[in-house]
Amino acid sequence: MLNLILNFVCACRTSDLRVSTTEVMDCARHLELVDVLDEAQFRAALRANFAKSRREQSEFDRLYGLFFHDMRPDVELDADCDPENTDKADMRQTIEQLRQEAGDDEITKAIMDFLAGDPIPYLRQMQRLETQTEESSQALKSNLSQLSSRLEVMLRINRTRNRLLQLMPDPTPGGAPGKNQGMARLLMERLETANRMLTQETRPNNDALKQVNAYEKKTMGIGERPFSNLTAEEIVKMRSVIDQLVRKMKDIMSRRYAARNKGALDVKKTLRTAQRYQGVPIEIVFRQRPLRKTRVVTLCDVSGSVWSAARFMLNMIYSMQDCFSDVKSFAFVAGPTNITDIFEKHDVNQAIEKVITDADINFNAHTDYGEMLTQFHRNHINLLTKKTTLIIVGDARTNYQNPCEHLLDDMRARCRRVIWLNPEPEQFWATGDSEMNTYKAYCHEVRPCRNLNQLTDFIEDLVF
Amino acid sequence: MTGTYTGFTSVENVQQKLESVDYIPSREIATVVYLAAATQKPILVEGPAGAGKTELARAISRCLKLRKIRLQCYEGLDEAKSLYEWEYAKQLLYTQMIKEKINQLIATADTISEAVEKIAQQENAFFSERFLLARPLLQAITADEQVVLLIDEIDKSDPEFEAFLLELLSDFQVSIPELGIWKAKHIPIVVLTSNNYRDISDALKRRCIHLYIDYPKKDLEKRIVKLKIPQIEERLADQLVNAISNIRDLDLKKRPCISETIDWAKALMVLQINDLSPQALSDTLNVICKYQADTLLVRESMDKVLK
Repeated sequence: MLNLILNFVCACRTSDLRVSTTEVMDCARHLELVDVLDEAQFRAALRANFAKSRREQSEFDRLYGLFFHDMRPDVELDADCDPENTDKADMRQTIEQLRQEAGDDEITKAIMDFLAGDPIPYLRQMQRLETQTEESSQALKSNLSQLSSRLEVMLRINRTRNRLLQLMPDPTPGGAPGKNQGMARLLMERLETANRMLTQETRPNNDALKQVNAYEKKTMGIGERPFSNLTAEEIVKMRSVIDQLVRKMKDIMSRRYAARNKGALDVKKTLRTAQRYQGVPIEIVFRQRPLRKTRVVTLCDVSGSVWSAARFMLNMIYSMQDCFSDVKSFAFVAGPTNITDIFEKHDVNQAIEKVITDADINFNAHTDYGEMLTQFHRNHINLLTKKTTLIIVGDARTNYQNPCEHLLDDMRARCRRVIWLNPEPEQFWATGDSEMNTYKAYCHEVRPCRNLNQLTDFIEDLVF
Repeated sequence: MTGTYTGFTSVENVQQKLESVDYIPSREIATVVYLAAATQKPILVEGPAGAGKTELARAISRCLKLRKIRLQCYEGLDEAKSLYEWEYAKQLLYTQMIKEKINQLIATADTISEAVEKIAQQENAFFSERFLLARPLLQAITADEQVVLLIDEIDKSDPEFEAFLLELLSDFQVSIPELGIWKAKHIPIVVLTSNNYRDISDALKRRCIHLYIDYPKKDLEKRIVKLKIPQIEERLADQLVNAISNIRDLDLKKRPCISETIDWAKALMVLQINDLSPQALSDTLNVICKYQADTLLVRESMDKVLK
């Protein structure tokens, strides 16, 4: 029993679930208490110990299904299996034969191990595929390496299947009844499982995601016009509305500063200062309410496809810099550029102008979110702490490049919240080269943000 | 360490006992509660708002007849508000009142250092339990019998507070500098709830066992409704649960939770509505929808809801 659990733990760990030794010990203790023959209880005990958040549960469920249902660990192929049972001995023999015939590169070995009932090397291969990144090259970009490695694995599986068919009796029920039909079917099933794992994409279960679509329609007319459809006249008008919004935001923040000094009486400090006056409390000290030290990191897409909206987003980011204690802003097309300094030194319109003209952004490049995340992850990851809110503004259109979503996952683990604002309406999110649905799984909150009302709604949510 | 008695004997027993206090648990909930109680581990409960996370803790305390101590977390919650605080004002008052006694005590002292020595001998009188204001966590530790400790919405607290909880949850002890380390007399049953506003740290997750409570399935929710409002008609209960489940599938700002289902059912009973027509739904919508935008959306998709 314990060996079985340890094997399962090993499989969990190769798929990036963090399972510590104490958790394994707890689980072993728990399994003694429940009726392990009742699957609901067995599963609940395992799940409560190994998947410690909703996000990890889908991965856990997948592995649980693979390990305890698809692989059927009860049909083990260890050396000491019943010699009477020719099925198993034959199976071992068949696999040995396959192993010798095939080359000994890692992928083939993993497939063989998988056939033999040990899914761990294969899971490791899968994990490698998932997190594979492109060699960063500015000149020529492709997202083929991940695809081609997948193809390679698939070819190996096919080759193994063909060889198996030659070695064994027909596994289909209609075929000639051979003595090893059961084994053949099992091996085929396992190959199918391996193939399925290869082609399926896994995403964490993110149903705690806050997806805000409804919003208060405060200002009709200009508030409802998409940023992309504004006329020059309306842009000027829009600026003044945004100015109002910013003033309101600052107002709220300053009220918060004022309220800071209105805490309850701080007896400890009052007594301490009273010591100076022979115990007479002349100075009365009130407890200060500490302000939330919010840190905000914004990543704003300024490429052509979102430029009409990015303008206003930059405006908003600019005003946020005034309101929060620590805001770091980045603009990107392919790689992130720090624009915090520009925003600090210049007036709003001038600053936005400067971002376009002066900042070191390659506007001719193709938008590449994967590249942006890779560079940000490499150079600025230390900006993200448990107090940081990361706001990403963009349409998630990656020009079919590798989205590198595991980097976003890592960034999520480091910061307090990840919020994604998308200037496209929701019905276009999953179309074309938009990777919004991929990225969505790693955000705490996503919002379409294409007109003033939606922007206002977001800012109020953020500040209050 | 005492207090190994936990009151539950098996998974079925948990299920029975919880049902006896009007909480209908799924098999998974019962298993996890039993395991947590038997091995004295805290439970970390996640799930959408209003799915019955807090209610679970309340039900455990009710069915085991244990006192429930609740700590509501919020931004800025610190040790002084969650664990203990010295009552300076009280100490000061006492010092004033027994001033004469102190004077008597040091009257015989010849030198200042001797006087200090004499007062120092009485130090315990001032830093004793008498002047300690116990907050929820300390109350749970020092209680004379086992309690259920509910730490609500842990995700709203700061990371610092979470780190501070670690000592308490792994060893069930707290250190108070003036008094030393206090160990729990009885290990409390600890339930932490989280709405997933932010991710909980790995260290805290390691110390707990995890439970996810989702909105109940239709038949379970119907059972809950019938349990809380026995006089409801079978057909109406069906319609109600069906409509709620459809409304939850809509893209709302705030999805209705179980307590809102029950409130709604009560409202329908009061209005003596026995059939859920579009008109009836429209009239009572403000019981389930708390935002104007949501109300509008439900009105627009009325036929989808009452399918």
